[in-house]
Amino acid sequence: MRFTLPAINHNQAGFQALIHLWAQGKDCFLDDIDIDMGSTTWLDADMCAAFGAILYYLSERLNTVKLTNIRHEVESILSKNGFLSNYGREKIPDRWGTTIPYQRFDVKDDRYFAGYIENRLMQRSEIPPMSAGLQKKFRESIFEMFSNAVLHSQTKMGIFSCGQFFPKRNRLDFSVVDLGIGIRRNVKENVGLDLAPEEAIKWATEGSHTTKRGQIPGGLGLKLLSEFIDLNGGRIQIVSDAGYWMLEKSRIIIARLRWSFPGTAVSVEINTADTQSYLLSSELSETDIF
Amino acid sequence: MKNKLSLSVFEIVGNLLCVASSDGEKVFDRLDAALKEGQSVTLSFRNVTTLTSAFLNAAIGQLYGKFSEEKIRSLLNVQDMEQDDMALLKRVVETAKQYFKDPQKFDQAVRETLQSDNKDDGA
Repeated sequence: MRFTLPAINHNQAGFQALIHLWAQGKDCFLDDIDIDMGSTTWLDADMCAAFGAILYYLSERLNTVKLTNIRHEVESILSKNGFLSNYGREKIPDRWGTTIPYQRFDVKDDRYFAGYIENRLMQRSEIPPMSAGLQKKFRESIFEMFSNAVLHSQTKMGIFSCGQFFPKRNRLDFSVVDLGIGIRRNVKENVGLDLAPEEAIKWATEGSHTTKRGQIPGGLGLKLLSEFIDLNGGRIQIVSDAGYWMLEKSRIIIARLRWSFPGTAVSVEINTADTQSYLLSSELSETDIF
Repeated sequence: MKNKLSLSVFEIVGNLLCVASSDGEKVFDRLDAALKEGQSVTLSFRNVTTLTSAFLNAAIGQLYGKFSEEKIRSLLNVQDMEQDDMALLKRVVETAKQYFKDPQKFDQAVRETLQSDNKDDGA
């Protein structure tokens, strides 16, 4: 199979293009899959998480994936963040230190993920100082993204993450992607609601909704994440099945994609220049909790 | 029986990042064992820098599936928590109370919210 990959931006069109690749390749088995990247004039680095997840799935089906005609500027980004190391290229040093490496984790790798976030993101001198409140909220949000994938995806193929920092734009993009059962199926199987894919994402981000069953309650992760991103002035996008959901400036956009993503992708843009204290308006006492 | 048992989350988890549900289970196991004995417990979060809802749901939220609110309130207290972490724990506790109070009612509430959302959206 041969597939021509267009430019991949960190938006609905970017996800749609990657899912198109998935739709074209998902039935291939023991095949050669050549991805022609001659037309890929740009690839937002955090989108490597979704791209890598799809390629991993295709490789799992014993296909040989080759990335060809990669343009110099794209090759440079994908070599610095370690993405191309999975496809036979050498990793090159990231002189400006703006990449957060592409990495695949298993669901039991939570400690390893925590180390990756601390060492490759939070403790890096290249990342400009964020306010203490923002740094804490940001760290919590990243872990909520990972926990959400661990708890809900039922993935056996892992969780993929990647990020990029844009110093001049005061922006940090970060994505966590799983190859699990997706939100729509989760809501259907656990809650009994048969929703359209984009409605299922909307449902999962609202109120006290949870697909968790059993002894451990749930239902806060995506809400906490969305609340923080909204306060921060950033943007969050969720893609699951054929659903697309985006929150920016308190405005939600939902859409149906032409093909289905084989899992869930959560992608955030953080405004690193945010100076809010994130202090609570009213004090809580330790005796008020239970 | 001790007058008050002190448990350190940092010691149980062995990490200042308390983010994984599986680590929360370790804290739950200790609290569960103590509360079953009717033992008062102070749970200290000293030296813990990061918490998630997944961790707190496993560590504390699931207590509400095994013990009454009254029992938890009378036997368990927390200390050394920052204000925003307490706010997160409070949300986890409120969600857990709702979740365990009546799972069918919880599902019903969820369905009703959805129906009203759909009406609002003109669906």
